[in-house]
Amino acid sequence: MLARSSVRGVLTMMIGALQSSVREHSRGASARGFRRSVLFSSAAATVFVGIIGCASITFGAAIVGRTRHVGLNPQPAMELDVLKAKYRRPAFIPFPRENPYTPEKASLGKRLFFDTRLSLSSSQSCASCHSPGFSWGDGLSVGVGHGMVKLGRRSPSIVNTAWATTFMWDGRWESLEEQALDPIQSAGELNMPIERLMDRLASVAGYKLLFAAAFPDEGMNPKTLADAIATYERTVVSDHAPFDAWIEGAEGAIPEQAKRGFVIFNTKGRCASCHEGWSFTNDGFHDIGIPSDDPGRARQLPQITKMNHAFKTPGLREIVRRGPYMHNGSIATLEEVVEHYDQGGIDRPSRSDLIGPLGLTSQEKVDLVAFLSTLTSNAAATTVPVLPR
Amino acid sequence: MPRLALVALSIAGVALGALSAVALVADHTVHQQGRKFSFQSAIIKKGTPLTFVNDDTVPHNVASTTKGNEFDLGSQPPGASTDVTFTEAGEVQVICAIHPRMRMMVSVRD
Ligand SMILES: [Cu+2]
Repeated sequence: MLARSSVRGVLTMMIGALQSSVREHSRGASARGFRRSVLFSSAAATVFVGIIGCASITFGAAIVGRTRHVGLNPQPAMELDVLKAKYRRPAFIPFPRENPYTPEKASLGKRLFFDTRLSLSSSQSCASCHSPGFSWGDGLSVGVGHGMVKLGRRSPSIVNTAWATTFMWDGRWESLEEQALDPIQSAGELNMPIERLMDRLASVAGYKLLFAAAFPDEGMNPKTLADAIATYERTVVSDHAPFDAWIEGAEGAIPEQAKRGFVIFNTKGRCASCHEGWSFTNDGFHDIGIPSDDPGRARQLPQITKMNHAFKTPGLREIVRRGPYMHNGSIATLEEVVEHYDQGGIDRPSRSDLIGPLGLTSQEKVDLVAFLSTLTSNAAATTVPVLPR
Repeated sequence: MPRLALVALSIAGVALGALSAVALVADHTVHQQGRKFSFQSAIIKKGTPLTFVNDDTVPHNVASTTKGNEFDLGSQPPGASTDVTFTEAGEVQVICAIHPRMRMMVSVRD
């Protein structure tokens, strides 16, 4: 009880500190020069307190006018219980209306996911890079594709993709169904022309039966292949972790140090600005200052400055088992990840305004890592399916 | 098909909580609280500014890549309010480049 209220006290204090530090930071990063003294100072939500910026055109034809600042309602200090409620696990897995769940689809999808015959060389499957043994990644700094050639980015874990909005580090696909066909055909990955794959699968009697059972009206084609794989992938959900037990009320489920880390995660560390909610991501794109030439999201949105070197925020479930970290696997340990955020990485025009020196104490850094460790579940072993012949 | 919200000229006070996809954008203002645009779609007259207010707790990056009405507000900190005037009639997809769930359509009318 004592520990709990002290965590709450710290939380209240730190949210205040966070507000002022974000304020400070935003001002520093803004080319338009916001006057800090008036930011957040008014209680009225829509009172305009000053006209600071001057008219400018960023690019293209729409005219970007003056930027003013408005007084926002000061954020009420958040109670620890209110904060914890934001991290409750959802009750069910969402499936899209266009591709609803059926056990037949998921079962077929699981076989396809683990089947090396999906690659031209018949030596790699989806599971080669998204292995349950490595929390649905591959434990490597960057993926390895056709001919054992290294790819440019780390294989992302597919855990909790049912809740994702965009897919791939650069968000270039907007559905799991679209995404599923990309690595199969990509020359650097499974390198398998889709028509050839369909011919190969059609020659496997067991697959004909499984497709007929899962898609009685549609049968076997690239769309049903993608639908089945996507359905299976959506069933890959991170298991209950000690953190969940604590969220659900078991006070002793995680150590006090981890509880302090949770508060830092949500306040001074600014982690929760992006690693939001029960799966610890809002799918946002940020340049977090990692040394790398990779344009990231700017491949999709080249006109937008902040998308240079920006990558999709990964969820943090099972994070202890998911190293090495970052889009290019350039950071080996969580301690070093925390150190990176504390220092703020490379200061460049594209760097997110949420990234910058944090001034964490060594105790706070240790607390953060202790908290992250509570997101690891005691995952049950995944069975490898018997593949049809 | 999302219903269109009419951007009216009136400055009638609309409570923040009452804003929805069907309400009038009474003061030509789109809010961005809780990683959401307060409208899924809006109609506006060409040349009339539409105001994007970041009343959230994190920066947003409102932008459009729709031909003829491209713009990029860059990182818009909490507490900032910026006007955007569309100069070409047509359907404009407005996004937050940071948060892929934030998108809205602006129908720019002559
Ligand atoms: Cu946003």
